[in-house]
Amino acid sequence: MAATTFRVFRYQPDSGDLESFHQDFALEHEEKTTVLDALLRIQNEQDGTLAVRYSCRSAICGSCACKVNGKTVLACMTQVEEAKAESGSSTLQVDPIGNFAPIKDLVVDMTPFWEKFKAVKPFLIPDGPAPDKERLVPKAAMEKVAKESACILCAACYSECNSLAADPEFVGPAAFAWGYRFAADERDSQRKDRAKLYSGEHGIWDCTRCMFCNERCPKGVDPRDAIEKLGAIAFQEKVTKDKGARHAKAFLISMKTGGKLNEQLVGGFTDPVGGAFNAPLALRMLQKGKLPASPLTHKVQDRDQVTKLMKNVKETI
Amino acid sequence: MPRQFAYYPGCVAEFSSKELNATTKALAPLLDIELLPMPQATCCGAGDIAEAKPNLYLALNVRILSEAEEMGADILTICNVCTLNLRRANKMVKEDPRLLEQVNGELVNAGARPYQGTIDVTHLLWYLATEEGLSLLEQRGPKGLNGLRVAPYYGCQLLRPSSVMGFEDPDRPQSLERLITALGGEVADYDGKSRCCGFPIILAREQVALRESHVALAGARDAGAQAMVTPCPLCHLAMDAYQRKTEQLMGEEYAMPVLHLPQLIGLALGMPTQSMEFKRHFTPVDDVLATVGA
Ligand code: SF4
Ligand code: SF4
Ligand code: FES
Repeated sequence: MAATTFRVFRYQPDSGDLESFHQDFALEHEEKTTVLDALLRIQNEQDGTLAVRYSCRSAICGSCACKVNGKTVLACMTQVEEAKAESGSSTLQVDPIGNFAPIKDLVVDMTPFWEKFKAVKPFLIPDGPAPDKERLVPKAAMEKVAKESACILCAACYSECNSLAADPEFVGPAAFAWGYRFAADERDSQRKDRAKLYSGEHGIWDCTRCMFCNERCPKGVDPRDAIEKLGAIAFQEKVTKDKGARHAKAFLISMKTGGKLNEQLVGGFTDPVGGAFNAPLALRMLQKGKLPASPLTHKVQDRDQVTKLMKNVKETI
Repeated sequence: MPRQFAYYPGCVAEFSSKELNATTKALAPLLDIELLPMPQATCCGAGDIAEAKPNLYLALNVRILSEAEEMGADILTICNVCTLNLRRANKMVKEDPRLLEQVNGELVNAGARPYQGTIDVTHLLWYLATEEGLSLLEQRGPKGLNGLRVAPYYGCQLLRPSSVMGFEDPDRPQSLERLITALGGEVADYDGKSRCCGFPIILAREQVALRESHVALAGARDAGAQAMVTPCPLCHLAMDAYQRKTEQLMGEEYAMPVLHLPQLIGLALGMPTQSMEFKRHFTPVDDVLATVGA
C-alpha cells in the first residue's frame, strides 16, 4: 500500500462561490493506481461533489486530460507512484488543463476546442461522384498520415500551447494535426484550399514552435511536426503570401545567396509594409551592430554544393 | 590536451549577436576547449527551411554533420535552435539507414562528403553542466558572481522535444541552476523559465510573440532577479532587443539585463568586460557589473 496527498483544484460556481481554491485529500491506495482511479475513489469515498471528466479509463476516449504537478497528462494513463517519483514530491497537485475556462473543478469548457477542430474541415473531401466500391489507398500513402490518425482529441496539446496562451484564437495543434491528416490524404481534393484555409491570421504561421504539444501528446501525434508539414504543403501549393511563409522564404533566399542567414533580408522581406512601424527598433539594432550592414557577404566555402542541393533535392510531402 | 569541438556558432551569434560569439571564443581557452572553425557550414535553417522544404532541411543539416565528421570532432553549439535542428537531422538519419543512404545520395551528387553517422551535437551548456564541465570551472578558481540573483531562462528548443534533446527533464531542468550556483550566484526561480520567448514569430506575428516573452520577463522580475541568463541568442534578441517594445505593449516595466550564458561564466571567471561586448546589449548591464565587481 502507498499513501498520497492529492491537492485538487476546486471550483464550484453553482454553489455561489466564484473563487477557486486547492483542497487536500489524503488517500491510501495500492502501489499500482492511476491518478484517475485515485480521483474517482476520492469522489466515491470523500467528496461526492468532485467533478472529473472521464469515460474509457484506458487512454482511448481522450476525456481525462488534466495537469499533474503542472504537467499535462491523461489521468487514466498516469501512475500515481511514477508521477510522485518524477516530481520528487509526495503530494500530487491536480489541476484542470490550461488555456480553457473551468466549468467545475477539473472540468473545462471545451467549446473552443471543438469549434477549431470543425474549422479545419476534419473530413475527407474527395472529388467527383462516389465510386461503386471503396477507394483503394496504397499502404505507403496511409503511412504518411498514420501518426496524425492516432489523435484522440484529448486537448493535452492545447493545455500548454504558448501561442494559444498569447492568442486565444490560434487554431492550435490538434486541429492542424487533423488538417494535415486530410490535406496529405491522396483521396482528398482540397490540398490547395486547405493550405489557404490554414494559412490565415490565427493559422499555422502563428505557431511559435514551443514544442509543448509534441512533448505532451500521449499518443505520439507530434502536432508541431504536422504544422511544419502543412507549411511544406503550403509551399508546394504556392500559398506563400502570409508573413510567416515569407519569413521562411527569406531563409531560402539567404541559403541561395550565401548559405548563411541574411538578417536584413529576413526583416524586410517578411513584412515590407508593417516593418516600417519597426523603424525605430531597426535603427537601434543598426546602431548596436545587430543588423550587419553588408548582408550579402555571408558566403560559405564550397557553396556550389549548396546550390546543387537546392536545385536537386525534391520534396516528397 | 584541450577538448576539441567543431564549432557551430550559428548565424545569429555570428552576425546579429556578435557579442555571444566573441565571448565564447574568449572563454573557450580558459575552459580548455579548442573551437575548430567549420568553413563550409551553412545556416541550419532555423526550423524555417524545415517548414518550407523538409527534404532540403535534412540534406543541408546532414552536410553540416558530415563536415564535422571529416574534422573528427563532435559539434559544439551555442544556440537552442541550431542544436535542435542539427540533433533532429542527426537522429533522423542515425535511426533510419535507408534515409541516410538517400540523403547521402543527394550529398554525393552535389559533390559533398557522405555522412557516416558518427557525430554528436552538444550545446555549451550541456558540456559545462556535467561533472566534467563543473570541475573545469572549479579548476579556474572562479572569483564568482558575488551572490548576483540570476533568473535561469531556458526557452524551448534546448529542452523540447525531449526525444531529440534528452539532456535533462524538460519539466525540471537544472543545468543553468547548477552553473549559477557553482559560479557563486543565487538562483531566482520562476515559472516562465521554459516558456517561449516568441522569437520564431516575432517578425510575422509581433504582438503574439511579445505577449509570450512577457510571461518570462515578468516572472523573472517578480522573482527578484537582477539579471536573466539564456543559452540562446534568439531568446536573447527577444528578451533584450525587444524588451522595450514588450514593455510598451504590456504597459509594464522589467528593466531586466539579459546575459548570454558565456557572459555569465566570463563574469564569474573575471574575464575583461570589453571582451564580452556588453555595449551591444539594449538593456544596460551596469548594475550587474557593479554587483559582481567587474
Ligand atoms: S494531438 Fe495528441 S495531445 Fe493533441 S488532442 Fe490529439 S492525442 Fe491529444
Ligand atoms: S509548437 Fe506550436 S502548436 Fe505546438 S504547443 Fe507550441 S505554439 Fe502550440
Ligand atoms: S478516461 Fe478515456 S482517455 Fe482517460
